[in-house]
Amino acid sequence: MSSGHLSQDEFFDKLGHLFNHRKSSDHGAIYLTQKRLTYDPSEQSTTAKLFPDLLPDKPLPIIIKATNGKSKRDRSDKEKLSTVVQPHELEAFYVRYADVCKAGMTLLKPRDKSKKKAKAKKKKATS
Amino acid sequence: MPYFKTSQEWLDHSVALLEARPSSTRVTTRYSIKPVKPRKQTTTSSGDESSTAPSGPRAPRGSLVLKTYDPVSGVTLKYRTTKAAEVTRLMSAALGRLGKAMAGIQDVPEETMQDADAVETPQGEQTPQQVATGGGAGGGGGKKKKKGKK
Repeated sequence: MSSGHLSQDEFFDKLGHLFNHRKSSDHGAIYLTQKRLTYDPSEQSTTAKLFPDLLPDKPLPIIIKATNGKSKRDRSDKEKLSTVVQPHELEAFYVRYADVCKAGMTLLKPRDKSKKKAKAKKKKATS
Repeated sequence: MPYFKTSQEWLDHSVALLEARPSSTRVTTRYSIKPVKPRKQTTTSSGDESSTAPSGPRAPRGSLVLKTYDPVSGVTLKYRTTKAAEVTRLMSAALGRLGKAMAGIQDVPEETMQDADAVETPQGEQTPQQVATGGGAGGGGGKKKKKGKK
């Protein structure tokens, strides 16, 4: 991740493009990863070093990454995005994140009412 | 590599894993699209074999897999869905809660979720969550829990 992190606006923008690009093909994947962004542990005291992660003195930012899953063979096609979310921005970030994902994940099954009805009927019959 | 039946179970275990290993655990969401194979026609009477003509181009299907993975202990927790109805809740509520746990925000509010088709299941199945007290203890956590009979 030497390319540096994007701002959240840029990240969402490019994530949208990533999803759009996927829409036009019939296969492939998008990977989204989130993880705590840790700092260099060398500046911590010994006791903090033993269990540095259990008791952070202050909330830490997290990093969100997105790729289109290309590696090695198609390295030139690989797209990598990342952004850092500060603790106080989490709520707002996830609202937008969910919106972008919902808009992008178009090939999932829509809510199927008929199936649900059949299930409920079956349940009634058994009880 | 257990797959959980409900997103709530997955979330409970993932939160427990994150509490035990907040710095190394990552959550990956994979949205993948696979082409649907056209059904092979059983009739061999047609002489032209090269045209496998499917009855119609079927739209490829997507699926969503949520994976919580801790590379240190090797614990992997997974949940898979194909329902669009779950996306918003999973991405916002579930990942948001895990994000807060990652950030180290302590007072995480309890949120309960239900799968789109699990609304009719009795509440008794929501067994109390087994909290992984240590990093290693989380390893078998997924397999221990058996769901009640349907």
